[in-house]
Amino acid sequence: MSAKSEVDSGRIELLEALRQAEKTWNVLAPRYGVTNPNPPWKTSLSAICDCLAASGALPTLDRRRAEDELAESVYSDVPVPERQLLALVHVMLSRSLLDESDLANRMRAVRTRLESA
Amino acid sequence: MSHTHPPGNGGADQGHAAPMVEEITDFEVLEIAVRELAIEHGLFTAEDHRRFTEWTESIGPAAGSRLVAKAWTDPAFKARVMEDAVKACKEIGVDWAEPTGFGTPSDYMNLRVLEDTPTLHHVIVCTLCSCYPRPLLGMSPEWYRTTNYRRRLVRWPRQVLAEFGLILPPEVEVRIEDSNQKCRFMVLPVRPEGTENWTEEQLAEIVTRDCMIGVALPRLDRTADVHPVHKARRPVQSSTHSGEARHERKE
Repeated sequence: MSAKSEVDSGRIELLEALRQAEKTWNVLAPRYGVTNPNPPWKTSLSAICDCLAASGALPTLDRRRAEDELAESVYSDVPVPERQLLALVHVMLSRSLLDESDLANRMRAVRTRLESA
Repeated sequence: MSHTHPPGNGGADQGHAAPMVEEITDFEVLEIAVRELAIEHGLFTAEDHRRFTEWTESIGPAAGSRLVAKAWTDPAFKARVMEDAVKACKEIGVDWAEPTGFGTPSDYMNLRVLEDTPTLHHVIVCTLCSCYPRPLLGMSPEWYRTTNYRRRLVRWPRQVLAEFGLILPPEVEVRIEDSNQKCRFMVLPVRPEGTENWTEEQLAEIVTRDCMIGVALPRLDRTADVHPVHKARRPVQSSTHSGEARHERKE
């Protein structure tokens, strides 16, 4: 089958907190009576993946290999599409395309912005 | 906004699905944060992202259904499909060069259409990752991406097809085509008997996504991918002028 992706499969503290929050779409959608099978960020996630591949920053095959490995290990208990998002961010952090503390800070800023609306 | 939701149902109106959950999840926040940082780091631009998002939301299996229906009814078109499928796609309004002018990195501009016969059935898979003819079929279904499907289909094709409810007789050869980085595939199923006088539009309705992957066969009673058409509550009468129609509704 596929070759190893060389992704670091160590746990990432920031993503672990999300994984354990049990706020995945398959839990939330029925709670709010929403029938849309996908969360609002799903298409944007696909576009991020395409953009990263188009720019050469993260080739599709590398990302998919890493996603497969992480899906069977670190994020095996997380449903799709949250698993795709966590795996993508995991790979980006592993490859230093993102910094974990920068990401944590930005997440706080984004939440503040969204909640102020 | 005066619109309020009754307590206890999480925002769903009686009999209507709520448009979206009423809380901001960490996953939503994470996706936005990653996108913003990636743009700031120069990995891609906001315009790139907007363009790919727009393209992703514009694709679906309907284009593939139209291609199959046209190939069934137009032998010359079918010959062009078998000769150069990417070029033939333009005749049904699909340009594989979208959205960048040279396609997407995940959809190499090389498509081969696999023609089924009464004794040969094709199924597509991507054992390596999740290669899929997105310009024609839209985003791949989740099961197509699973290692379960990808690993088992090539080893035990008839067993996996049976799990989709497709049991083929032993005299039908099953051929699995493994997509790769250089080529995409889709299946041209056999036109079902009983559709001889059907229009292209009628035929397209029975060519579902799964038929073009190869895990199902077109059936006269099967239109799973076709969205229901909701009748207008106050249809305009085609035999009257618009002004008269408005007048009638006022009364």
